Amino acid sequence: MNRALRPAVLATLTVLVLLVLSPFALVAVNAVKSPDEYATDGPLSLPNGLYLKGLADFWIRVDFGEKLFNSFVIAFSVAVLAVVVSVLNAYALGIGRVRGRSAFLVFFLLANLLPQEALVYPLYYLSKEVGLYNTQLAVVVIFTAIQSAFGTYLLSSVFATFPREMLEAAAIDGAGKVRTLWRVVVPISWPSLSVLFTFFFIWTWNEFFLPLIFLISNDKQTVPVALGVLQGDRMMDATTTSASALLGILPAILFFLIFQRTLSRGVMSGAIK
Amino acid sequence: MRLLDPPPSFRRASSGNWRRARTGTIAVLAAASLVLAACGADADDSAGSGDGKTLKLWHYEGATSAMGVAWAEAIKQFEASHPGVKVQFEEKGFEQIRQNAGMILNSDEAPDIMEYNKGNATAGLLSKQGLLTDLSEEAGKRGWDKIGPSLQTTSKYDAEGIMGDGKWYGVPNYAEYVMVYYNKELFTKHNVQVPTTLAEFEAAMDTFTKAGVTPLSVGGAEYPAQQILYELALSKASRSFVDSFQLYKGKVDFKGPEFTYAATTFADWVAKGYIAKNSAGIKAEDMGVAFTQGKFPMVISGSWWYGRFVSDAKFQWGTFLFPGNTLHPGSGGNIWVVPKNAKNKSLAYDFIDITMKPEIQNLLGNSGGVPVLADPATITDAKSKELIDNFDKVTSTDGLAFYPDWPAPGYYDVLVAGTQHLINGTKSPDAVLDEIAKPYNDNLTSLGK
Repeated sequence: MNRALRPAVLATLTVLVLLVLSPFALVAVNAVKSPDEYATDGPLSLPNGLYLKGLADFWIRVDFGEKLFNSFVIAFSVAVLAVVVSVLNAYALGIGRVRGRSAFLVFFLLANLLPQEALVYPLYYLSKEVGLYNTQLAVVVIFTAIQSAFGTYLLSSVFATFPREMLEAAAIDGAGKVRTLWRVVVPISWPSLSVLFTFFFIWTWNEFFLPLIFLISNDKQTVPVALGVLQGDRMMDATTTSASALLGILPAILFFLIFQRTLSRGVMSGAIK
Repeated sequence: MRLLDPPPSFRRASSGNWRRARTGTIAVLAAASLVLAACGADADDSAGSGDGKTLKLWHYEGATSAMGVAWAEAIKQFEASHPGVKVQFEEKGFEQIRQNAGMILNSDEAPDIMEYNKGNATAGLLSKQGLLTDLSEEAGKRGWDKIGPSLQTTSKYDAEGIMGDGKWYGVPNYAEYVMVYYNKELFTKHNVQVPTTLAEFEAAMDTFTKAGVTPLSVGGAEYPAQQILYELALSKASRSFVDSFQLYKGKVDFKGPEFTYAATTFADWVAKGYIAKNSAGIKAEDMGVAFTQGKFPMVISGSWWYGRFVSDAKFQWGTFLFPGNTLHPGSGGNIWVVPKNAKNKSLAYDFIDITMKPEIQNLLGNSGGVPVLADPATITDAKSKELIDNFDKVTSTDGLAFYPDWPAPGYYDVLVAGTQHLINGTKSPDAVLDEIAKPYNDNLTSLGK
């Protein structure tokens, strides 16, 4: 890179990073501030001391441990199931080249583009009909379908460029369709699958709207829904809200740190080998 | 499926079947269907079986708010007077109830009693859809109808779901009204007396602007600005104007004296610097915090701020009613409703009755709320007494005029945009009146009035 340009680029990047980080900093600052301090000094002042009662109160008030467990169970189940469904679909569409596969792909793409608000009423009546309203199973089933629609779309195009020689070699060695899938296709596309898994996990973790609709009882709710309990009709408690926001984003940051190597490998990796 | 935090009934139903399931595919399928059945059955069980042993209660008030404190005591008293009955209380999010109430109440998951927002678009809509229980008989029998007439407006809904007349579908425990909060220390510093007329009020604000202090903290991005506009309209209005505007009992002329005065005066207050130019982008929360920081001598807003100011404001402050007005924005608070699908309705009625008892009402009053049936003599807390005495002044003249955004769906945003135009000076008062008249009249047409 041009030596003269370097400081300018660095400065711009630093400013951008600070801009991105400033909301997190604001949340963190207000989360450890006492309500009194907030009232007298406002949201932008630095806290005088570490006030952790807001965090503790919120944890106890919504039984946050239970919500973390619920979120984990739902997000993990969805991520596993959606990856499995995506692989099976994409195997048929991308490698199996079934008849009318572009129609299928357009269908999956459309399913992805539908706003969730449009799905609410049909899903509500269906789940009530089969007795799954207010169960976590309903949320798992719905998100498995939604996430695997995207997964199918993406994996199909990855599989479409899968080296034919590899498949022919497997066929000559006597592998059937099922064996080819599990022994050849899945191991080779493993990096893509783990990226998909990570995405599905984080997306499902952050979902607010459908869990809000389908998980009625407090003991079944997920983390984002529990955060909503603090927003009143006209009143908000800014310090407790910040505390809850901090608790809410910590897991997401944690996952990102754990999975970041998988993520940085890129969605398309493994497509060409 | 085992990942799904199995409910107790699931564990019972499945453990035996899973063992046998190893023997064959058919058994596996049978077990799977049992699992589904168990999930379904569980959904039914948790709704309460109508055995008169549990009261499923939902509300969305914070535990330290006046209502939260009073209702916690009510739950204690209820359990004491109903041995063997367990209150299954869940604190809900306002957003969850707002988004979901219709769907929840139409299912087996409905609670026995629930706090819900009053108004045509909320409780009115649910009553029209047949999702709420008619409480008229209980209200008469148990004396809930002793509350003031303008408080009853939000309890009764007609067949079209419009409030004011018809059957009782909800019971309010508390009331709310808009007033002026003032910082006593700033008033003393600038040698300003508490105004009693609108002219004195404007003179007081003049004194502050001359000293370089903006007198009003206003949140123009949310509800506060429109409530000031409505206060100004009410200063020229009579009860029949309110009945026309809110209950569609007559025609409203947006170019009539009330709204014309309101819009031009509001624009005038901005021009004179009583309302800061930058307040168009201020949220209600920031408006309140600016007041507790002592940056503004006054804020015009509702009684919902009272408890917050008591605990947060570190200076001497007081309240007075909007000077000169007999009508004030305000209404009964959120209401108790009993869903049509509630399993234990008689327990729900008993609970409402306890919340209307003097002890609970007085506790609500002493905790910073505005009770609907309290005995003012028993309010011992000095700050609360001021709040409740002022409320008595309002109700004694039947002065609750509701809120300006009530008459039409989506009217809140129309009024926010309108007042923002007035604050920014981007539209003349006349043009703003045209802008807010249209959605109102469109709604009347769609109602067939």
